[in-house]
Amino acid sequence: MSSVLQLKNVRKAFAGVPALAGIDAALADNSYISLLGPSGSGKTTLLRVIAGFEQPDGGEILFAGRRIDGVPPHERGIGFVFQNFALFPHLSVAQNIAFGLENRAIDPVTDGRIVAARVRDMIGLVGLSGLEDRAITQISGGQKQRVALARTLVTEPSMVLLDEPLGALDANLRTRMRGELRTIRERCGVTFLHVTGSETEALAMGDTVLVLDRGRIAQSADAGTLYSRPASADVARFLNCYNIFPGEIAGESFVSPVGALALGGLTQASGKPGYAIRYDRVSIRPRDAAPAGDEVRIEGSFVASEYSGAAVNSFFTLDDGRVFEVETHLSHAAPEAYEERGRYALVWKREDALVFA
Amino acid sequence: MTMAATSHDTAAETAETSTRKQPDRTFWLLAPGVIWMLLFLVAPILMMVYVSFWTQTTFKIEPTLTLKSWVTFFSSDTYLGALWTTIRIWLVVLASTLLVGYPAALFVGLFVRNKTLSTVLLVLCVIPFWTSFLIRVLAWRPMLGKEGAINMILMSLGVIDQPIEVLLFSELSVIIGMTQIYCVFMVGPIAFMLGRIDPAVIEAAQDLGAGFWRILRTIILPLSMPGVVVGAIFVSVMVLGEFATSAALSGRKVNLLGNIIVTQVGSLKWAFAAVAGVVLTILMGAVVAALLRVVDLRKEL
Repeated sequence: MSSVLQLKNVRKAFAGVPALAGIDAALADNSYISLLGPSGSGKTTLLRVIAGFEQPDGGEILFAGRRIDGVPPHERGIGFVFQNFALFPHLSVAQNIAFGLENRAIDPVTDGRIVAARVRDMIGLVGLSGLEDRAITQISGGQKQRVALARTLVTEPSMVLLDEPLGALDANLRTRMRGELRTIRERCGVTFLHVTGSETEALAMGDTVLVLDRGRIAQSADAGTLYSRPASADVARFLNCYNIFPGEIAGESFVSPVGALALGGLTQASGKPGYAIRYDRVSIRPRDAAPAGDEVRIEGSFVASEYSGAAVNSFFTLDDGRVFEVETHLSHAAPEAYEERGRYALVWKREDALVFA
Repeated sequence: MTMAATSHDTAAETAETSTRKQPDRTFWLLAPGVIWMLLFLVAPILMMVYVSFWTQTTFKIEPTLTLKSWVTFFSSDTYLGALWTTIRIWLVVLASTLLVGYPAALFVGLFVRNKTLSTVLLVLCVIPFWTSFLIRVLAWRPMLGKEGAINMILMSLGVIDQPIEVLLFSELSVIIGMTQIYCVFMVGPIAFMLGRIDPAVIEAAQDLGAGFWRILRTIILPLSMPGVVVGAIFVSVMVLGEFATSAALSGRKVNLLGNIIVTQVGSLKWAFAAVAGVVLTILMGAVVAALLRVVDLRKEL
């Protein structure tokens, strides 16, 4: 698959504080890419640099083979969907969508009938039929989201940047819009770059997920790989589904603050040593149950549990005060009751752990 | 049973007094303003309309109703000329304050994204108001005069070799003076409206491919219209009622309705003054009503 956008060592600092510390990435054509990063990781800055609202301090941005750093935003052909939609408050739904076609500097559409036809098609595509003449103040959040998307898509950009597009919507609508965004993208055949701080959203939406950490791309992988094989302890932390221990490898075990953990699984080089075990790979057993030969066992005291329907998350305090989380799926089991402050054995298979060296 | 009944009665009574008290309080809160407006705005206006129909002779005025003053006003070239001059100067000053004020407001309200800096700039606009109105007007004389600053500079630069006489004691000097004095009333409301535009909306328009002038025309201008209308109302009301600037800067060559009123009152011709006053009030009312039709301020602000 050819790449539509290439970033080469893109840097940007604000008042001496680096926001982007050398971004290298190639985004595939016709795909859904999500960009995951904690707040302050530089993800909005990266998006604004790609769109042209900020100038990078250094590096190259190639879009469809052409260098675009220095090109003003309105000549880039990249669509941008704003976090708060940024709709034109004095225009109707149809006028908002027609804005780009009628007013762009390059190749504006002057024939009113063509504009009307394309706006009508786009309104159909995003499912806003019947609301053409409504004022922006008279539609709901989800509808505003669609107007913002339609307004961008109607200009046929080669790529669309979405800045936390679902952040302003309530939880129910967010889940529904996820599916719709993917469907709309497939119909248009352009690349979407979707910025989010939510790991579930990033995993659910992206064909490829880019993880941004402190101004650098920490990992670029498909959702499955990212989830089961994060490239570093930091990436694992953003995924919010790993218990992570600091420490270092000594011989056949990983020495951590909670004791020596026997090695047996995959060890990856990542620069910073760490030991990660997924919440849902740990089982909780009575203290006196003996572990099998290929298992790792630590002890913790039960604090509380959180029931979420399909699963229950139990929290334990380890001997060094660290909180350890275990996720138990309830598809074939009823939730077990644990005694508060009771000591339990937390056990997992050696090969399930990810070790970073 | 008795106890219950009593307490029920008391509750009902309290509820009744509180609903009765509500209009009482509204009345007392509104009374000072209403009385003030009735005594010092509505009554004088009615009085002015009434006096405009009184009989005016050279030395006295009598409350015998007549249309004579009105007929004199509308058949005199002087008075009609003053009405026309007032309208002409008002339109020119309105246009020039908008022309000078809008770009300034654009800079202060939109391009300066630092809130503190834009407040400082707005305060700078207000600094001339720390001196008296008359001083501000008279300060234009040494600027515009035949041997004033502008003529001196232009002559020493060799741009002209004769001083431009039309600069002072002409309609031009009145327009220059009024534009300077009233410009800030245009800048303020427009800058306020521009400051409320979400920067992302302008970025969105850029991203959709629109250039600067397109964005100015299709996004910024419509969104700032309420500010333009409020500014235009301020400027219009003040310019239409003006007399001091034209008196000080035109050498009595430019007579506005305001100057007519001042002169007539000075020579105790109350009926004429009242006619001019009624005409001016109607003109202002019509201008404000027309401006308010442009934008629904209640919806926009």
